[in-house]
Amino acid sequence: MQEILNQYGFLIIQMTFAALMGLSMYLPLMAGQLSLASPGFYALGGYIAAILSTQQFAVERGQLFPLELLLLEMVIAGVVSGILAVIIGVPSLRLRGIYLALATIAFVEIVRVVPQNLEITGRAVGIFGIPQPFPGRTEFLGLQVNQQLSYGLIAFPLLIIVAFAIYRLERSRVGRAFAALREDELAAAAMGINPTYYKVLAFVLGAILAGMVGAISAHFINTWNPRQGVFDRSIEYLAFVIIGGSRTFVGPIMGGLLLTALPEALRALAGFQSLPTSLAQLLAESRFIIYGLLIAIGATFFPQGLISPNLFKRRKERKA
Amino acid sequence: MLEVMKATRLFGGLVAVNEVSFTIFPNEIFGLIGPNGAGKTTLFNLITGLTEVSRGEVLYKGSKISGLKPHQIASRGLSRTFQNIRLFGNLSALENVMISQHTRTSSGLLGGILGLPKARREERQVRDEAMTLLELVGLSDRAENEAKNFAYGDQRRLEIARALALKPELLLLDEPGAGMNTNEKAGLSDFIRQIRDQFNLTVLLIEHHVPLVMGLCDRIAVLNFGQLIALGTPESVQNDPAVIEAYLGDA
Repeated sequence: MQEILNQYGFLIIQMTFAALMGLSMYLPLMAGQLSLASPGFYALGGYIAAILSTQQFAVERGQLFPLELLLLEMVIAGVVSGILAVIIGVPSLRLRGIYLALATIAFVEIVRVVPQNLEITGRAVGIFGIPQPFPGRTEFLGLQVNQQLSYGLIAFPLLIIVAFAIYRLERSRVGRAFAALREDELAAAAMGINPTYYKVLAFVLGAILAGMVGAISAHFINTWNPRQGVFDRSIEYLAFVIIGGSRTFVGPIMGGLLLTALPEALRALAGFQSLPTSLAQLLAESRFIIYGLLIAIGATFFPQGLISPNLFKRRKERKA
Repeated sequence: MLEVMKATRLFGGLVAVNEVSFTIFPNEIFGLIGPNGAGKTTLFNLITGLTEVSRGEVLYKGSKISGLKPHQIASRGLSRTFQNIRLFGNLSALENVMISQHTRTSSGLLGGILGLPKARREERQVRDEAMTLLELVGLSDRAENEAKNFAYGDQRRLEIARALALKPELLLLDEPGAGMNTNEKAGLSDFIRQIRDQFNLTVLLIEHHVPLVMGLCDRIAVLNFGQLIALGTPESVQNDPAVIEAYLGDA
């Protein structure tokens, strides 16, 4: 058990981050806004953490980075992302549907290109040697946990808290305002809901989450560069939501977990020796082809995604 | 209650509503009729802010509402239904009616997520009031069903319940009887009077079905090609030569 967990530590944490990023795409979608901005805020959060931890909070070599400072970085990344999201959101959320998606792609590109040309972000090379808050081995609940899996101490509670918060949000006044906007913006406005306010709010919530995940990711992968938040990621996160399901928060979580584990599973499949080399190579390196296929197949046969609200409803009715 | 003053709306070269003026008094049931394309729905949209006036003004209780955003106008107590029903289709009937209590409630993001006592109390009240309204329109037994799965007539009634949940003082109904049979329309008249009395409403309604309008409305305004051609009691409007010409054509 311990062996397996540690062996797949990196993947488990990556899957958790992916689920969180799926949720950060899901938040604007709750209010009907197709935003692809999450990777931009993710990159921004990562840079904030990388710069703060390597340049501001001086930690001597070989020493552990204090956990409180990591949490502080996440808060700062969240706040900065949130403020930037307000500034970007107010003008760009006047756009609808595909135009909003395009505007947010432009934002993601800006966050990619600007650090490439700034000294403080290490230009194209990026920032190296981001200090680690966890030792090589930690004892947790009687398990010997390696450095990578230790990030679960932050990532797992974060995922649980965020998922629970969204669950509660969907059953509250603000969540209903989001849902009304998603269903029919004009009718929602006629019923007294301020479209701009709630669209920006949903966008900002997604940005805060993406920024926070970026901050912890920077420590997790130890280095940060302009390749972290690119347009490919937008599509990847969008796939989490579309394939997982966009009508309940469980969808993007499942999508993030499954689709992140998928390449590993494919790689394992490719490892079988009886496979022809070309097929093995395809399985090992064709993540995006398979994502593309899954999106196309998913959109055709499961338009609501793998997890739809009716899935829960029917189960409830069956019990009744 | 509501004063429309020389309201005008141009769509390109088309004058959809042309210097229309009238006043609606409190507790009145005011009918708006006219042939297809006369500008009735556009006028509704001008009053509720979904379309901006090109010229003229709309006053509600003495203060100007033209130029405000739809949600601002709604929060002042104007609520409406739509000719082509615009329910939140994928949401339950209950949620539809809960949503339009938005302006009367105040729970914020944190209150809802943390489940603070005030937010929970408010949530219960909102739910109870929504159920009461669903009972009023006879849909409480299907409160959890998705709005899009309701029959046409039921959707119309659900839309009225949703509009009432805003606790409006002025209720605008855009063809509430569309798609209903004669029996249902007769019931609708009684129902509109009932909610007018129960909630102390002023009602402005668009309707094509002449017997319904004549029997229900205190006063009627007739539009044709964007212009107000008659205004008065049902009897006077019915005998107005301009109205007869608009409906029957020039003989």
